[in-house]
Amino acid sequence: MTPAVVFDDVSKKFRRGERHDSLRDLVPALFSRAWRRRRADALGDQEFWAVRDVSFAVSSGEGLAIIGPNGAGKSTILKLLSRILKPTRGACAVHGRVGALIEVAAGFHPDLTGRENVFLQGAIMGMTRPEIVRRFDEIVEFASLEQFVDTPVKRYSSGMNARLGFSIAAHLNPDVLIIDEILSVGDMQFQQKCIDRLISFKSQGAAIVFVSHNLQAVASYFDRGLLMDQGHCRCIGSASEAVAAYASAAAGRKTVASHARAGIVSVSLRDRNDAVVSEAAPGDELSLIVTYRFSGDRTHNLIFGMYVTDSGMGTRLYNASAGDLGLRWTPPPGPGQVTIKFRFRVNLLRGAYHINAHVSDPLIHECLDRREPAAYVTVHEDFSVQGSTNLDVRCTVLASEPGSSDIDEPVTVGDTREAHD
Amino acid sequence: MRALIADCREMVAEQIEYRELLRQMTGRDLRVRYKQAVMGFGWAIFMPLVNTVLFSVIFTRVASIDTPVAYPLFAFCGLWVWNSFESALRFSVNSLTSNSNLVSKVYFPREIFPFSAILVSLVDFAVGSLVLITLMIWYHVPAGVNLLWLPIVLVVHFVFTAAVALVLALANLFYRDVKYLFEVMIKVWMFAAPVVYPVDRVEGTLGLLLRLNPMTPILEAYRSVLLLNSPPPAALGAAAALALLAFVGAWLMFHRLEFRFAEYI
Repeated sequence: MTPAVVFDDVSKKFRRGERHDSLRDLVPALFSRAWRRRRADALGDQEFWAVRDVSFAVSSGEGLAIIGPNGAGKSTILKLLSRILKPTRGACAVHGRVGALIEVAAGFHPDLTGRENVFLQGAIMGMTRPEIVRRFDEIVEFASLEQFVDTPVKRYSSGMNARLGFSIAAHLNPDVLIIDEILSVGDMQFQQKCIDRLISFKSQGAAIVFVSHNLQAVASYFDRGLLMDQGHCRCIGSASEAVAAYASAAAGRKTVASHARAGIVSVSLRDRNDAVVSEAAPGDELSLIVTYRFSGDRTHNLIFGMYVTDSGMGTRLYNASAGDLGLRWTPPPGPGQVTIKFRFRVNLLRGAYHINAHVSDPLIHECLDRREPAAYVTVHEDFSVQGSTNLDVRCTVLASEPGSSDIDEPVTVGDTREAHD
Repeated sequence: MRALIADCREMVAEQIEYRELLRQMTGRDLRVRYKQAVMGFGWAIFMPLVNTVLFSVIFTRVASIDTPVAYPLFAFCGLWVWNSFESALRFSVNSLTSNSNLVSKVYFPREIFPFSAILVSLVDFAVGSLVLITLMIWYHVPAGVNLLWLPIVLVVHFVFTAAVALVLALANLFYRDVKYLFEVMIKVWMFAAPVVYPVDRVEGTLGLLLRLNPMTPILEAYRSVLLLNSPPPAALGAAAALALLAFVGAWLMFHRLEFRFAEYI
């Protein structure tokens, strides 16, 4: 049997930045674009590979999850698969009916009603009119929008929009389903419905290609995983292998090469008496003192932040920037340095943690400098509660019935700390 | 050559596959245009009517000219055709850029956008014909056997419109100057065609230029067939050949560049 999706040694080149073509070039440029063969392999000025030499195949009934950091080329792969883009090199073939959910509500027109939009979006996805008519009630019911079907879509909430969009796509019955981060829409109940739907598609023999940042969903619902990074395929294998590779790659990239625009000069972790510490107990107050430097180039775009990760798994437990935390400070023009103190309470339980600092530019999605770990902290505690965060739970007995066989003796515990191990 | 034929086959097959979408897009544009508009389809006849009155005043009171039929009838027929041509092109110019979300997120043949703009203008054209029929009855224009030419004239008119529409939509996607240039071009073009005055007696280089305009034989053909009960001018044949050639060429170019739209929009 031939695989439903074949991606054979595909590369895709993009241009960075704006083009400044003048109208004078219009007609010759149009003609040459239509008929000229381009040099496929050379990278011109301002060009880069969004996807480079990537190959994979997905058979019917199989699910492939594509994971990786932002800008790795995941969405480009989906656009290549759904024929929105054409590969610069290599071949990409999809057999059968394709349902592409790059953006579920892309075709909606705000002035039209839900009903009108179902027909429009259905047609955009390639459904025929009788097909839409036949499945119309199911679509509306799946989205739970029966009462709003004759309301213009501009009055819908974004969740309603997404639900209707997904619902239309879910009733397409495609042979190949291409999905970009769909599970982030709707409430928990709707997300579960979406997952159930995907699983039933898969068991009916549809091939699914799925982009996600939800690693847990990837590991539990998909057979295979593809890890992308900077346009290259870093790992292709079982979903859990790819997730593991992603986690370890993230751990290996602890320090970003220091950037000319901004960086971290020094970091220290101190206690209330201003002494450098590496150990703490739950409830202690610590301060992370970070000195950042900046060159003066677009300084107002920079965010200065700190985050906390679990030293074993690398799970990010906390992440905030000074701006998020309400710090009102505008950097002076020109180069300079700033020392920021992040004071926090150690609401952590026993374990080892990394306290980290970073300076980034969210506009270009780039972390300019990062210290991970900037400091270790080992939290000691003398009572046995498991987990990683200290929720400071208190428990009390509200009622107890003497003579019942289930409860041997009533216990009253005022504080978790009283329950020693 | 073989590649061209394969492309043509693919283009037509895609249009057949996505026929429902063309219908939905046309329906969408019609509904959206007249939603929250009190006069609705009245707007389709309002512009040519106002222009007819305006030019009637100019060309009968200020500078009177000879026309083969009563001037208001002459002018409305021209303005009705021109208005549909102009509005089809105006919607096409922006049809790709105003749907950038669809162009960059969903795959389907992008010709659907200019084509649906043309179908919308065809609906306007049909509405406008009601006014023309009323005027024809008012001026006692007899219906003749040459009306049988009308479908051919109509096809030439819309095939040519489609050719220009495809090129404009495509060009505006790559160079946004096109939509501004279009506004200038369409004004000049209108006065270079027999829309509000006859051009058959214009001599010299100017006359030659006016007769080289593909819209000239199309407009003259409408008038001959509808108002004068005579066959269309021979030049319509040349216009038809040009329209067909331009249409196939424009569509091929559009189709071959389609896959770059998502990157450039």
